[in-house]
Amino acid sequence: MTQVNTRAAHAAAVARMGDLSRQLDDTQAQIATARRVSAPADDPVAFARAAVLRRENAANAVTGRAIDAANRRLSATDTALESVGNVVQRARELALQSNNATMSATDRATIAVELVEAEAALRTLADTRDSDGQRLFGGAIADRAAYGVDANDVTVWQGGGRAPAVTIGGSSVASGSEGPDVFGVTDAIAGTRDLFAALSTLRIALAEPDADLRTTGLETGITDLDGHVTRLANARGTLGARLGRLESETDRLARADLATRGDLSKLEDLDMPAAIARLQRLLTVLEAAQASFSRVTSLSLWDQLR
Amino acid sequence: MTDLLAIGAAGVRAFQAAMTQVGDNVANADTPGYVRRSIRMTTGAVGNASPLLRDRGDGAGVLAGGIDRASDAFATNGARIAAGDHARYAARGDWLARLQTIVTGSDLDARLGGFFNAGSDVAAAPTSVAARTIFLDATDQAATAFRGLGNDLSRLSDDLASASDAATTRINAVTAALARVNTELRRIAAGGAAANGLLDSRDKLLAELAQDVRISVTEGARGDVTVRIGSGSAGAVIVTPQGNVTRIGVRDNGSGAELLLDPTHAAIPVQLPANGALAGIVEAARQVAATRLEIDAVATQFGTTINAWHAAGTDAIGDPGGALLSTRTVATTAGRANAGTAAIDVGVGNDQLLAAGGYRLVKDPAGWTLARADGSASISGPGALTLDGVNVRAAGSARDGDSWALDIVAGAAGLGLRPFVPARLAVADRYLVDSGAANAGDGRIRVSVDPLAAGFAASPPYRIDVTAAGIGTISDIATGTVLAGVTFDDSGIAGAGFRFSLSGAPAVGDSFRILATGANSNDNGNARALAAVRLAADAFEMRLDASTAGIGSKLSDCRRLAATALSLKDDAARAIDAISGVDLDREAAELTRLQVAYRASAQVMAAARDLFDTIFGILR
Repeated sequence: MTQVNTRAAHAAAVARMGDLSRQLDDTQAQIATARRVSAPADDPVAFARAAVLRRENAANAVTGRAIDAANRRLSATDTALESVGNVVQRARELALQSNNATMSATDRATIAVELVEAEAALRTLADTRDSDGQRLFGGAIADRAAYGVDANDVTVWQGGGRAPAVTIGGSSVASGSEGPDVFGVTDAIAGTRDLFAALSTLRIALAEPDADLRTTGLETGITDLDGHVTRLANARGTLGARLGRLESETDRLARADLATRGDLSKLEDLDMPAAIARLQRLLTVLEAAQASFSRVTSLSLWDQLR
Repeated sequence: MTDLLAIGAAGVRAFQAAMTQVGDNVANADTPGYVRRSIRMTTGAVGNASPLLRDRGDGAGVLAGGIDRASDAFATNGARIAAGDHARYAARGDWLARLQTIVTGSDLDARLGGFFNAGSDVAAAPTSVAARTIFLDATDQAATAFRGLGNDLSRLSDDLASASDAATTRINAVTAALARVNTELRRIAAGGAAANGLLDSRDKLLAELAQDVRISVTEGARGDVTVRIGSGSAGAVIVTPQGNVTRIGVRDNGSGAELLLDPTHAAIPVQLPANGALAGIVEAARQVAATRLEIDAVATQFGTTINAWHAAGTDAIGDPGGALLSTRTVATTAGRANAGTAAIDVGVGNDQLLAAGGYRLVKDPAGWTLARADGSASISGPGALTLDGVNVRAAGSARDGDSWALDIVAGAAGLGLRPFVPARLAVADRYLVDSGAANAGDGRIRVSVDPLAAGFAASPPYRIDVTAAGIGTISDIATGTVLAGVTFDDSGIAGAGFRFSLSGAPAVGDSFRILATGANSNDNGNARALAAVRLAADAFEMRLDASTAGIGSKLSDCRRLAATALSLKDDAARAIDAISGVDLDREAAELTRLQVAYRASAQVMAAARDLFDTIFGILR
């Protein structure tokens, strides 16, 4: 037999109402934060999974920033390469123009002056910096000009290593081109000349009084420049491929970000209509419990004793 | 006829007593542990009309006998066990909730993520002072989060130790009180109001005791009890009916929690039953200890891995990376017998110099002495002292002979960022590698730092030439001297402080360079390597996630068990209440009944008087 008007029965009824209030409070807090999981104990598996997803989200944002930086550098390199290409094209036109018997020595001298300017422009371009102030063609060495002139008056690449890379999903993409890939190298044994040497060879050939030697010199210069045009095209192609890779990676990140957010929301977010319905139900139950408690406990035989 | 009067008087007396008891019940309706009482009525003794016994034919009257306590030993025992079970889960749940709050509140997970993300940002802008400063700040935050968590967990352990001490103190106080109750119960008469009061206190004490530890109770004839630890008659007796008490203590050893009987004298360990708040506290303490161990292990791994990572790079000044994190510090404990009020300020300059055994600071008439605990070195002076990079300053007044122990703390609490300027951050790889522009093959050189590699004397930069298929030379670029011939295969070739390997398909005549990274390098190789450290198997963040999720699942498990135990406890309490509780309605009904009976007995007396009056009337 369960008794109604005992201390323990009272305490139990009050505890039941307290439990309802607590559930109400929990539901209310869930609604206020719009989150189902706010502590590991709410749902340990979801909490652990959500931690991984949140981390992924943050890492994606960081990778996005790194891609932006690499993009800036690659674009700056591309712009510089375009200018270098223009200079080389102009030099090649001048060489073709001057490789003509009708050219007077004065004309050739004028062309030589323009070639000097072109070489100076190339040297400026070789030391181009990106928007962060880093030299584009020095590889990993940043504290000196990418190109210098050694004791024998030969232009040498002073850089080293490779341009800083950006790591994307386990593989890395270089964020630039190194000097030798753009300007070539001077190698006496292999008979190659870098762009600077090619231009100065052309200039020296222009000053050559002997017509045959001049023609030979100019043709060598034109061949050199043709090689450089090809190299520059290759270099720009490589840059384009890298930019394309970064772009597709940016797209992938955006999609991954969306997917992660979706997963996170599924894991952590509250089913709002269900929660509100639950709140309403709990409120009704609590009110009913309070009303019935006060009714039942107010019934006392003592009131009937006169 | 006189008998009729006597019978009426007996009834009036008995019902008066019964009504008094009802009043007592009502008055104690809200007293915790009060057990409903009723007067046991017995028919008066009848016999052979001797001076002592009434004649059989005259009617017996009623006697108000002893007072009955409406209790049921089985229900009470069931309620005790159910309450202990609930107390265990409730205590464990409370402490685990605190543990969960501490672990999630430390935000360590986010701080570690911030550290690695700042590393990626540095890789994207290797020469940016801003990115480096932010990275150092993120490192400091990660180390601080570890330290904070380590300290919080250590405080939680201390709190748990205090809680289990408090529980054993409570248990010992209750058993002492029970012993006194036992003695009293054996002394006084059963059935009286005093005995019933004692039995109420006895049940209250037993219930209190069962909240903390599982007990089994055997009741003697007079209500005196034998209390054993655990279930069944095999448990160790802690309270005897004669009033002897065995004090208990608690300790946790590797295989499980143990109760110590008579801990201060001849300690006997017995297994702690898995019931009661004490068991819950010990279980929570075990979880906290496991979490501390794991966090300390992760912190140590973090410190050593990050320092090793940093050491593999080159900073903006061109030097190899130094240790980024300090992994040890000292904790100061004042001596128990210290009489002065001095406060000690301790700073650690370089954690790598700390002696493993710790230090000891003593105030003597000459001044202060700071010494290694093993006595291998010491320094004395009047004011601030420095030994092995430990700086000690005292404020306030110390008495001669006061001492302080400076213990080495490793793990999470020992982690910290060492003083670092942004330029000292090793973002670049130790060696730069490039390939000759005229290379026909697609071979690639990879270099890894190996301080022990000594294939030849160090003289960077180096040049590697492929002289024939799979064979080449490494030479000093400055002098052109060939340092060694090399065979290219997958195994790393020992250089000077590094190892290198050639992958891909190099053509004969191809060349490669290995340069030592100089100052202000634009390289980000080492910063990028941090991403690999993050993703390594069994990495820090995964371990932390697993640890946090483990606490969460234990807590939610515990809460479910607590909810079940609570309903069992409520059921058991209801069962007792049905027998022992004071129901006001029932008392009201009882009172009405007794009042009627009292009035009837009074009427009997009135009738007897009427009879007397009639007889007196005849005589008159």
